[in-house]
Amino acid sequence: MTFKTKLYLGFGILFGLFIILQVILTMMLDKLDENMDGISKNYQMVKLANTIQEELSIFSMDSRGLIANPPEKFRSELMNGKYNALKRANSAIESLRKLDREEKSQKLIKDLRMMNKTLTKMEKKSDELFATGDTEELTKLYWYKSSKVREQMTEKADELQNIQVKAVNNKIDQSKKTYNLALKMVSIYIIAGLLAGLFIAVWILRSITFNLNKVTSVMSRVSLGESGRLPRIKVNTKDEIGIIGEAFNKMAESIEMQAMQEKKLKHSAEEQSWLKTKVSEVSNMYPGIDHLDTLAHRFIMKIAPMVEASYGVFYIKEGSGDEQYLKKAAAYASNKPHDIGIEKFRLGEGIIGQCAIDKKMLVLNDIPENYMKVTTGLGMASPKTIIVMPAEFEGEVLAVVELASLKQFTPLQKMLLEEVMGNIGITIKSILRQMQVEQLLQDSQALTEELQTQSEELQMQHEELRTVNEQLEEQFRQSEQKTKELEEVREILEDKAKQLSLSSQYKSEFLANMSHELRTPLNSLLILAQMLADNPEKNLTEKQVEYAKTILSSGNDLLHLINDILDLTKVQQGKIEVNPEAFELTEIKAFAERRFIHYAKKKGIRFYVELASDLPKVMYTDSQRLCQILNNLLSNAFKFTEEGEITLRIKRADNQLSIRKDDDYASSPLLAFSVNDTGIGIPKDKQRIIFEAFKQADGTTSRKYGGTGLGLSISLEIARLLGGYIDVKSIEGKGSTFTLYLPDSIHDKAVTELSISKHEAAATLLPDASQSPEAPVQVDEISHYPKEEKNLLKDKKILIVDDDMRNIFALTTVLENYQVKVVFAENGKGGIDVLKEHPDIDLILMDIMMPEMDGFEAMRIIRQIPECCNIPIIALTAKAMKHDKQHCIEAGASDYISKPVNIEQLLSIIRVWLYQQK
Amino acid sequence: MEYLGNEYTSFLRPVDNLENIEIALLLEGIYRYYGFDFRNYSIQFIKRRIWHRMRTDNIENISGLQERVFHDPKMMEKLLSDLSINVTEMFRDPSFFSSFRTKVVPILRDYPFIRIWHAGCSTGEEVYSMAILLYEEGLYEKTRIYATDINGSVIKSAQKGLFPLNRMKKYTKNYLEAGGTRSFSEYYIVKHEHASFHPFLAKNIAFAQHNLVSDQSFNEFHVIICRNALIYFNKLLQSRVHQLLYDSLSLSGILGLGSKESIQFSGIANYYEEVDSVEKIYRKIK
Ligand SMILES: C[S@@+](CC[C@H](N)C(=O)[O-])C[C@H]1O[C@@H](n2cnc3c(N)ncnc32)[C@H](O)[C@@H]1O
Repeated sequence: MTFKTKLYLGFGILFGLFIILQVILTMMLDKLDENMDGISKNYQMVKLANTIQEELSIFSMDSRGLIANPPEKFRSELMNGKYNALKRANSAIESLRKLDREEKSQKLIKDLRMMNKTLTKMEKKSDELFATGDTEELTKLYWYKSSKVREQMTEKADELQNIQVKAVNNKIDQSKKTYNLALKMVSIYIIAGLLAGLFIAVWILRSITFNLNKVTSVMSRVSLGESGRLPRIKVNTKDEIGIIGEAFNKMAESIEMQAMQEKKLKHSAEEQSWLKTKVSEVSNMYPGIDHLDTLAHRFIMKIAPMVEASYGVFYIKEGSGDEQYLKKAAAYASNKPHDIGIEKFRLGEGIIGQCAIDKKMLVLNDIPENYMKVTTGLGMASPKTIIVMPAEFEGEVLAVVELASLKQFTPLQKMLLEEVMGNIGITIKSILRQMQVEQLLQDSQALTEELQTQSEELQMQHEELRTVNEQLEEQFRQSEQKTKELEEVREILEDKAKQLSLSSQYKSEFLANMSHELRTPLNSLLILAQMLADNPEKNLTEKQVEYAKTILSSGNDLLHLINDILDLTKVQQGKIEVNPEAFELTEIKAFAERRFIHYAKKKGIRFYVELASDLPKVMYTDSQRLCQILNNLLSNAFKFTEEGEITLRIKRADNQLSIRKDDDYASSPLLAFSVNDTGIGIPKDKQRIIFEAFKQADGTTSRKYGGTGLGLSISLEIARLLGGYIDVKSIEGKGSTFTLYLPDSIHDKAVTELSISKHEAAATLLPDASQSPEAPVQVDEISHYPKEEKNLLKDKKILIVDDDMRNIFALTTVLENYQVKVVFAENGKGGIDVLKEHPDIDLILMDIMMPEMDGFEAMRIIRQIPECCNIPIIALTAKAMKHDKQHCIEAGASDYISKPVNIEQLLSIIRVWLYQQK
Repeated sequence: MEYLGNEYTSFLRPVDNLENIEIALLLEGIYRYYGFDFRNYSIQFIKRRIWHRMRTDNIENISGLQERVFHDPKMMEKLLSDLSINVTEMFRDPSFFSSFRTKVVPILRDYPFIRIWHAGCSTGEEVYSMAILLYEEGLYEKTRIYATDINGSVIKSAQKGLFPLNRMKKYTKNYLEAGGTRSFSEYYIVKHEHASFHPFLAKNIAFAQHNLVSDQSFNEFHVIICRNALIYFNKLLQSRVHQLLYDSLSLSGILGLGSKESIQFSGIANYYEEVDSVEKIYRKIK
């Protein structure tokens, strides 16, 4: 029986009992109620009967009253009361008639009615009687007839009342009985019901708790142990507990299933996570690798132990087009002497090459015995499985990896390999790209450097060219200048020629005449002095003889001088004729030896004359003049040489040297006659002077060595006359070499006017030029620069803008020393005006602090004038103001110099900015 | 540089082009005979200079030049001067010097003593520029500059401190651009066609001949300036010289390269950090 039925049953029984009890009780109460109803009806009837009696009495009273003839005022009242009482009695009778159905009573009631009617009739009669005043009758009637009726009626009502009381008593008895019965029955019933309920409750409760205990005890034992099994409930009832048990068992079963599935899932998740960590371990290694070999090496080193492979090789595809091959890039567990893995495969060659074409993983399981061996410290073993895998990127195989293992690869390991190989393609590609980029970068760097070298080379070549150019230009400029100068000179000469020819004629003539005039008395003077010195009569004191000798020698000197002057004037006047003739050079040698060999011996000096072997035999020139020059040079040499040797060397001149000569003779080769001595030498700065007439290297020399000092001038003149020139090289204290260069032949008419007139021009003009005030130029260290080039500042025009007149004055004084033309202004505005007036200004010195318009503004404005944007401007700034300098440059200054100005610095800076790039 | 191949596969098939072989032989010979090692100079550069010499002297082929070079020391001299590119300027690449002023000078201030090496200093313009810069920054007194070059004649000219007048305008401009704080003209006097720099600038400079290819490091420096010399070398030599410079630099020392040069592929880039990547100023960090 199920729980439900049990509960329904139990409660149903209780409910049934209850209803029965209810029905019985209701029935009993109904009965009681019925009795009570009867009782109250009876009681009513009693009351009605009573009422009848009462009313009758009231009637009788009133009637009596009337009879008694009351005062008028009570009569109607009594009349009404009498009738009303009758009426009330009548209605009570009527009510009784309706209520009491019993026969006995009905009869009585009928009588009563009748009597009442009679009474009423009698009354009416009485009234009439009353009205008539028949008191007798009336009293009679009343007392006899009507009272009789009234008595009867009262009897009847009594009778009725009795009947009713009897009935009431009956009914009360009956009710009492019923009540007692009901009380008994209810008590019995309640006790029985309680007992039944108790029993049912206990029964139900017991059956429920027992089964539940059984289930909970099983359930409380539930826990999923290692075994994954759950306890089951033995089901032997069919009730709800049984169902619960069954449901529990089902649940246990599904929980067990679930647990099993979960376990499976967990396992595969573990595998997955292993896979994932390994894959990420491998791919984490990629970043930062910038070379394929490194990648290959690291990869194989990582992956081989991961899949428990005992050997591995990484091949990378290289080359392009038809020349593609797979090259070994790294190996795992390579054993050096017989290094594992073939170095190179072409595509399609071997399994490796095939794999690259098939783009598929290859697994080889049956490895022949003689296949490669895995070597350990203790021995060798053949691998069981070999796996060859391609690494692809976008369908292109980039690398192939081969692994060998002593075991089979597990599916998981294979999965790892597949995964990892899938990833490495892109890495290889990106490294390849990176390497390409790197290579490109490297190439571009190399190119940049290459460009830089080229540009530097170019710059150098350019610089070289520039210097060569500059030199050439300089030469050109110089020669041009020379020709120009010559041209000018010629022009002037032409002009002056006539005057000159006159004046110089006069001069020369005067000189010649005077010399002549002088010579005659001098001659007599000399003769006299000679005589005196000889002292033939021996009458002169020694002192006097000495005086005479002094007069003699001074006179001789004077004579020489006069002769030389005559000579020079003759040469200069062109009065000397050149008589070229052919003669042998050996004659010269003979002449020199003849002339000086004795003298040399006397002075204790070695003397050589050397003729070079390649000399022409014959020379065509004025041999007399040649000898005169050589004589002069040699005399000088002997004069200034105390010991050592003197050599006359005759040879062909070095080609270059002849460049300097005039065109006329350029055609014929030059011969060089050099006189080399080991004498006192000539200081460098004097080497030019010695050729000038009336000058000697040192004022003292002439006193010490005698001589007029005109010899070299004359020699030079003659050399020029012969188309040659004289050069000197000398080291002070070591000796000198004078070299006479002469063309080996001159044309007959070669004594050109030009050479003479030119010379004369030089004589008259050059002194001015050569004495130009070069003196202030500072001490000269680099002496190989020709003097004319030194003064970069000459004839430059410089504008000084300064508000302090003293500065202007000071600067002007300095600059004018260098032949600079100075213009000035006292403020910026004035400066600009001056600049406009003098567009040929070469440089501006600009003070900054000035009234009206300061230097900054002036410079800014100047820079806006198109013609002036390149003029160098040197700003003069006060030393203290530091950013002035920056401002100066921004305003357009080329450079700046701090005040107070250091003159040397100023000159330097001016030179820098005036330097003209040619 | 390409070397002579030594695996001759066939007797008659040339394995390398003749020009390269001739050049390799020539350079090898010059090295063995004269001791100048140009074997690892940039091959393109060498080729150009050799061709230049051959053109000017009308020599038909490199072997001809070789003959002349080995038998005529004058020819060797000419070739040497061809191979010696001494292009330089004062405050060349002014931005380098201004960067040096702003970024390196503050570092140097803390040093009690500063040693600077100008490797490949050419005619000294760079060295004097550095001296001026340090003088203006008040560091010159505690500085010693070692200026070296392979070419003895440029060293001699550098010692004189005379620079051609025609470049002075440019140098003034450079000086100003490089952030000079005084006036450039304070440092020189013009003598004829030259600006003669004040001897006080050379006071702390030691000039010496030194060959980056064959000579060893001779001190440890706080700053090494080696600009526009490495560009004449091939990769191999460049990285060798870089190693030498690295070895000669003290920790946190400064390396200054030429504007077109780079440390990137020298193999030791990791040992430096950039102080100014544009001006190629680096600092040794390990
Ligand atoms: C183009 S100059 C650069 C001068 C200067 N550093 C500059 O950047 O203005 C290159 C210099 O490197 C020198 N040089 C070339 N090879 C050298 C070597 N092996 N060792 C030292 N100096 C070398 C050259 O003599 C030349 O003076």
